Amino acid sequence: MKIIYIKYILSFSLAFFVSISAASQNIPFESTYTPMSHSSVLLKNANVFDGDGNKFLNTDIILQDGKIVAIGKDLPSSSDLEVVDATDKWVTPGIIDIHSHMGVYPAPSVTSSSDGNESTSPVTADVWAEHSIWVQDPQFALALKGGVTSFHILPGSANLIGGRGVTAKNVQRNTINSMKFPGAPHSLKMACGENPKRVYGNRGKAPKTRMGNAAGYRKSWIEASGYLSKLDEYEKKSEDVKEMGYKPQRDLELETLAGVLRGDILVHNHCYRAEEMAMMIDIANEFDYKITAFHHAVEAYKIADLLADNNICAALWADHWGFKHEAYDMVQSNVAIVDQARNGTGCAIVHSDSDIGIQHLNQEASKALAAGVRAGFDITQARAMKWITSNPARAAGIYDVTGSIKVGKNADVVLWSENPFSVYSLAEKVYIDGALAFDRESGLEPASDFDIGILNPSKNRIDE
Amino acid sequence: MNISKFLKIYVVFCLILFNQTAYANEVLITNAKIYDGQSDNPYFGNILIKNGKILSISDDISNAERIIDADGRIVTPGFIASDTEIGVIEIGSLSVTRDDSPKIYNIGFSIFDAFNPNSTLIPWNRANGITSALSLPKNSLSPIGGLGSFFDLNSDLNISGKKDIVMIGKVGGSSSKSRAETFALMEDILDLAFSIDSKVIKSDTEIISFMNDMPLVNHLNLKVRDIKALYKLANNRLPLIIESNRASDILKLIKLKKKYNLNLIIMGAQEATLVSTQIAESRIPLIIDPMNNIPNSFDELASNINASARLEQAGISLMFNAPRDHNYHLIRQGAGVAVANGMSYGGAIKALTSNFSEAFGISSKGVLKKGASADLVIWSSDPLEPSSIPEKVFINGVDTSLITRSLRLQDRYIQNLDKPNTYR
Repeated sequence: MKIIYIKYILSFSLAFFVSISAASQNIPFESTYTPMSHSSVLLKNANVFDGDGNKFLNTDIILQDGKIVAIGKDLPSSSDLEVVDATDKWVTPGIIDIHSHMGVYPAPSVTSSSDGNESTSPVTADVWAEHSIWVQDPQFALALKGGVTSFHILPGSANLIGGRGVTAKNVQRNTINSMKFPGAPHSLKMACGENPKRVYGNRGKAPKTRMGNAAGYRKSWIEASGYLSKLDEYEKKSEDVKEMGYKPQRDLELETLAGVLRGDILVHNHCYRAEEMAMMIDIANEFDYKITAFHHAVEAYKIADLLADNNICAALWADHWGFKHEAYDMVQSNVAIVDQARNGTGCAIVHSDSDIGIQHLNQEASKALAAGVRAGFDITQARAMKWITSNPARAAGIYDVTGSIKVGKNADVVLWSENPFSVYSLAEKVYIDGALAFDRESGLEPASDFDIGILNPSKNRIDE
Repeated sequence: MNISKFLKIYVVFCLILFNQTAYANEVLITNAKIYDGQSDNPYFGNILIKNGKILSISDDISNAERIIDADGRIVTPGFIASDTEIGVIEIGSLSVTRDDSPKIYNIGFSIFDAFNPNSTLIPWNRANGITSALSLPKNSLSPIGGLGSFFDLNSDLNISGKKDIVMIGKVGGSSSKSRAETFALMEDILDLAFSIDSKVIKSDTEIISFMNDMPLVNHLNLKVRDIKALYKLANNRLPLIIESNRASDILKLIKLKKKYNLNLIIMGAQEATLVSTQIAESRIPLIIDPMNNIPNSFDELASNINASARLEQAGISLMFNAPRDHNYHLIRQGAGVAVANGMSYGGAIKALTSNFSEAFGISSKGVLKKGASADLVIWSSDPLEPSSIPEKVFINGVDTSLITRSLRLQDRYIQNLDKPNTYR
């Protein structure tokens, strides 16, 4: 009895010690993001696409304490609110790009900072894109002027499993952690098709074929499943048994893959061809993980129902094609067909994968919408706005806090000079967590260290 | 009249008739809001097309075999893509479908004979309102070299276009050599070009003896074709497109233009805004991508989204390009972006039409006027809105098909879904 008692005390204190040490053990690379100082703003009489599929005309929106606090007609103003006349202008949620390589393939494009592909082995689940980001990339500020408030930065597509992606707020800071979107889940980049088999096949290594690709993914998941079982077994053991046994050795690669199998890490899968996407769905089912989105997916329209049935988003271009064989079957209504699959339950995203495209995602959505309408689909602009706001927010796992104009959400908001589906529309004001990050009227805009004094010592790079 | 004579006349008569059915189609486009490629502002009018040409633009509604009511829609000249590889690349990453790079010839390498009128890029670009394109070679072996040709995008196996209307070149930052050497080589090549006598060019034997023991010829491994191309460059003032971005490089090119009286066009020109006065004074047209504001190299630090507007204000003639491979349709979205960022609408239309024909001396293209080639587009709405689409595209007076492989694929997956897709 006594002994047991002591044992209990011991194990309790050990458990306490363990939990203390776990809590005090530094979890690396946590977000340290804090918003810039925000103002309280009343956007007066705006036309609104809320990002959830609705359009409100002549509506007021109040941004306060970094959040959207009110939406409605003729909201009362107060002395602490800065009133912005938005008459004849449009308000949308901040644009979100689900596929960006900013920072990992920064401008200028030079070998010394092209850090997006760890193309030294076909499976590099251990690498994290965030560890490659050059925070002084001048592209961030350019994207901001296009209304982009958040983006998901991925490793490239040279590898079958390329590593972890990261979601960031579009605020240029001196550390990556302070740009990371608080609470956003990690992601895993996977790639189908031509790229991995070309990169490794050309070196006489596996994979050299698409069947080699498939074998590569499956081998990795078998290994990851084994690792996860060991972890689970260990976790299930009582504390005193844990004390005596060894915790499975940490393995960066398998930790990432196990994170996917546990549902903590979202899979973003570069994949063009229909049959390859279908095959990847089989592999996901075989190993019981979920694919969040197929990226590029030029042939998504061929299997749009299958994607809707599996609750998988497709992140697409409006009309980029022909640069590779697997990008040859482009149709401009791809986005619309995915959107309309299974009675409109499909999840379509317009993405950029481009330093220029990210600045014009509203125009890309406009092209995709026009093609959809021409193809006979009844899709509104309000619905199409989801393609660049709430749908990418869902795919990045941040929809509960951003991606639509909704009371309580982060005040990530863009004021457009005119309807954002027009090429002539310009982002006039961009708010991130209620802080004015870009203001066309006053000339407020960020400049990275790279932009300072580089052409003319007394000016910024693109000063006139 | 004997029978053989009768047959001859009959055959000639049939040939004439055949020609006429091909070309005599008379089309009147009424109620068009016309941007003619020359005036800054649009006007309403009726366009009469006959024999592949514009017969008249007037207020009168004459009679015609066929009348199309544009109902106030915008009509523009067919857009001209000024920097493409249309017809010489089918799929970017597949080298077997690429005919843009030489292996033996150098300065005289012409891509003309590689042009494939059946390329899927042709209907695709036509359906986006591009009626002709300048296709350029790539990867020349010397800093000046390679001949580009002009093509109508009418999918006709009897290629209509103009062969070897331009020579190209390139200077700028490179991982393998100094741009100082590139400029020196350019001057050496131009000196050589201007030293070729008209007597020499008359026979290959003369050319070969002219080339004999010339160090530059040996160094660049030049062939007879290359010398002939250089002679054309010097003697015919063949337009010369040099791809270049850095402000200091552009100034050096302006000096070269003056020294050799070149018919120079600068492409890329990402830092042109820094030297816009000098470019305007030297009357050098530019080919720029209005959407490219990325400082993609240390030669392109001044890249700016408002470059088109600023260069227009400086009085420079602009043409628009887009990233190569398959994205040439983006030139009109780019033109829209240019307008959104301060360029005039009329100026943006000219940058897609008549500025090209002026720079390259193809006066029948890129304009809507009496006698011009009937290359025109009736637009669903504002052509600079990328959501718009051509409703009719005429090339050389022919109402062309706007069906693309892309459209066929789309329809296969949204129509007749009761049948298996391979039987749709």
